[in-house]
Amino acid sequence: MLFRQIVSYALLIGVLSGILITAVQHWRVIPIIQSAERFEQTTGTAHAHDHHAHEPEATVWKPAPGVERTGYTLLSNVLIAAGLALVLLPVLVARWAQRTPSSGICWRGLLWGFAGYVVFYVAPAIGLPPEIPGASAAPLEARQLWWLLSVLCSAAGLAWMAFGTNRWRWAGAGVLLAPHLIGAPKPPAAAFPEQTPEVAAQLAQLAGEFITATALANAALWVALGLGSVWAARRILSARY
Amino acid sequence: MQNTLSNETVFSDKALTGSVAAPIQLLLAGLIGVVILYGAVFIETPAVHNAAHDMRHSQAFPCH
Repeated sequence: MLFRQIVSYALLIGVLSGILITAVQHWRVIPIIQSAERFEQTTGTAHAHDHHAHEPEATVWKPAPGVERTGYTLLSNVLIAAGLALVLLPVLVARWAQRTPSSGICWRGLLWGFAGYVVFYVAPAIGLPPEIPGASAAPLEARQLWWLLSVLCSAAGLAWMAFGTNRWRWAGAGVLLAPHLIGAPKPPAAAFPEQTPEVAAQLAQLAGEFITATALANAALWVALGLGSVWAARRILSARY
Repeated sequence: MQNTLSNETVFSDKALTGSVAAPIQLLLAGLIGVVILYGAVFIETPAVHNAAHDMRHSQAFPCH
């Protein structure tokens, strides 16, 4: 059954890509998050970024540092990767239902992966750069709404440009850019308002490194997701003949 | 390869081993993906937030 095949392959791709991105995160991303958290703790602003601060600390569960925290991060990564594969796979299967490409798995995988990278990482991150813990930011709801708008518009704009059949397809560029013309919600204050200028400068440097680190981790994720999904879509379709 | 030569589609009856039409199955799978993504990106229940915290920061999802 098509549904069961897609779900099984998405889970497989999710587990493999989730393990891959967790490894890359462990290498480049997590050390930066931990440094930023140390700054928060040593300067006594541990709650600065915590909007649940009004709730007593003890009642709010959080994973213990070390294996448990890494385990939940791995689980979250597997979930997000499987979710993304579950969206990508049906698109590929529907697109190739009439005629399944027999070659070019590699470049097709990289191309679809690149599209996913642009839609789910690059486009939202241009407006809302990946943040280290402790950085000030606009209200959460506004950022979530803009994030969603940017993902939807990027996907629609790219798809229109790639698959449109008349010259109107180039209007897709406008759709792609619209959220950026509207503008992402801006933080109300300086990036690290509660820190001394020296510490704020150090944190700003960390924030810069964090952008590179997350760009790398997400690129690894999307290479795996793109290649895996194209491979799986071809397997699902070729098994039907 | 033989799969490229045929114009049979997954939407044809032959493609169905169950009783649900292929497009519906694709749509359902995609919908489950969207629900998973929604949960991973947007749910702010403190326990979920804390469990997914490092993933959200790494993915550049809005967090906090």
